[in-house]
Amino acid sequence: MKANLSGLRLLRTLIQRGWDALTVAIVAAFLFPYAFMVLSAFKPRLETFKFANWILKPSLWFTKLQLDNFEQILDRFDLNILFYMKNSLIIAVASTLLTMIIAIPATYSFARFDFRRKEAIAYGFLFLQMVPGISIVFALYFIAQQLKLHDTHAFLIFVYLLWNIPYAIWMLRGFVSAIPQDLEEAAMVDGASRFTAFRLVTLPLMVGGLAATSILIFIGVWNEFSLAFFLTSLNSRTLPTSIAFFQTHSGIKWGTMFATATLGTLPVVIFALIVRRYFVSALTFGAVKG
Amino acid sequence: MSSQRAEPTKMKHKPQPWWSNPRARQRLIPFALIAPAFLVVFALAAYSFVWLVYLSTQDLTFGQPVHEGRPVGLANYIWLLTNSGSIFWISVRTTAIHVLGTTLPELLLGFAIALLLNRQMRGGSLLTAVLIIPIVLMPSMVGLVARLYFTYDGLVNFFVETFTGSRFNWSGPERALTSVILVDIWEWTPFFILILLAGLQTLPREPYEAALVDGASRWQSFRFITLPMMFPLILTALVLRLMDVLRIFDVIYVMFGGGPGSATTTLPLLTYRTTLVQEYVGRGSAVSIMLIIIIVTLTYLLIQLRARVTHQP
Repeated sequence: MKANLSGLRLLRTLIQRGWDALTVAIVAAFLFPYAFMVLSAFKPRLETFKFANWILKPSLWFTKLQLDNFEQILDRFDLNILFYMKNSLIIAVASTLLTMIIAIPATYSFARFDFRRKEAIAYGFLFLQMVPGISIVFALYFIAQQLKLHDTHAFLIFVYLLWNIPYAIWMLRGFVSAIPQDLEEAAMVDGASRFTAFRLVTLPLMVGGLAATSILIFIGVWNEFSLAFFLTSLNSRTLPTSIAFFQTHSGIKWGTMFATATLGTLPVVIFALIVRRYFVSALTFGAVKG
Repeated sequence: MSSQRAEPTKMKHKPQPWWSNPRARQRLIPFALIAPAFLVVFALAAYSFVWLVYLSTQDLTFGQPVHEGRPVGLANYIWLLTNSGSIFWISVRTTAIHVLGTTLPELLLGFAIALLLNRQMRGGSLLTAVLIIPIVLMPSMVGLVARLYFTYDGLVNFFVETFTGSRFNWSGPERALTSVILVDIWEWTPFFILILLAGLQTLPREPYEAALVDGASRWQSFRFITLPMMFPLILTALVLRLMDVLRIFDVIYVMFGGGPGSATTTLPLLTYRTTLVQEYVGRGSAVSIMLIIIIVTLTYLLIQLRARVTHQP
């Protein structure tokens, strides 16, 4: 009887380990396409298409990897990858900063005051956030032509605000509301103005939320394709829209492309992992807390 | 002020501007704080919509100066909806297949994997963190890499051949949409996993303990406790994802550009192809407006449905 019981327990543990293994395998399968892409960036040019070789003979991973593709990006100025990266960085940083400067007061107002039509206005922002970029990009294209702003950093920075500001307001609202109003009121009783109370009491408490929101907005702009693709041509081309330039008359330059994709995605992946605690809120506009 | 009042003469009360009243000022603060955000967002949107509506009533070729357009009223809309040369309805069908073919498998797969990850295991938080990666990758690069993976000699066919012994033409007209859908499933199943896992982790324990006492099977406690409690969250995730799929442009554009033929021409792709490839700016703008109407209507209906089903606003 006793032996039977411990046998049962062993079986149960085995089943549990089986489920664990399945879970790990599934997650690994989700990671694989990206891992293989990063690996391909380090492959010699002739090896790019030999998939079977690289999966069946892992020894190649340690003997044949090299940095040629990355050297090409840095050396060959006709590819301009660094230039596109610089553009992306300028546009993403500027648009994120501007978004936060405009969105923080608005968020504070939504979280701390009661006024007529408050929820209607908040949902108005949310609805506009839903408008697909591709559906108004050609209208924006003509507007840019009229204002002589086509292919400028400034226009793109400004256009992104349409999506960034509503997103920031909805994300930050939860963070402000989570901080008790009493703290601010105590400071105001002590003679601080509303602004000072906000700056000295609430703001320091929501630094985490602010950082997370900024990073998520930065990632969104850094990755954005449809607007940047049609509103820029040469001067302010961004990294995601540079894909057309890998297509030459002799086919797509896969090696360089993999290296660029690696350089373009690694910082974002690292950033995202830093703010992973906030990621579920980020996906649901703050509606669900992770 | 007080000195004025003290004077007995019929001196006219100096009209005070309304904003000098401290009460009114207090009431204005919340609006003043919102004003910059409101102005930027709504002005930008309104300006673009006015332009879009205007362009959709014009007969204009791309590259022509805008003032050379010819006003045609609703002709562009009528052409798109009724002309035999229009692929609008085919595109609506493609969009519907794309939307359902991505969201439903993603939901089922995502829920199953969330249940797996919800078990107590070592390294669970690391696994969850890894699942963030597909979501934050640059979509245009994802599309380009996917294009290589889905070629005839590509990575996907390598695995397909290993398991089935034959290869598929993933970029042909019959399978191109499937390829696009598969890429989306890879990219966005983690969206459902992360949201639903967060929900599962906050479920209360008591109902399960009570069910165990009553002798319920694991299937029964899943069916009668987990599922009903998760239902509002499932709907929320579904609504958010649905709205997002309807605007996907980048991955499809980079993988197939809407082709071959019109196999992957969803509505966002149709906007682009009509405006820039066929160069009919008016018709392209009309497609855009109809896409916006579809999205706004669907969002509204789904939010209503969600409110009715879950009895919460």
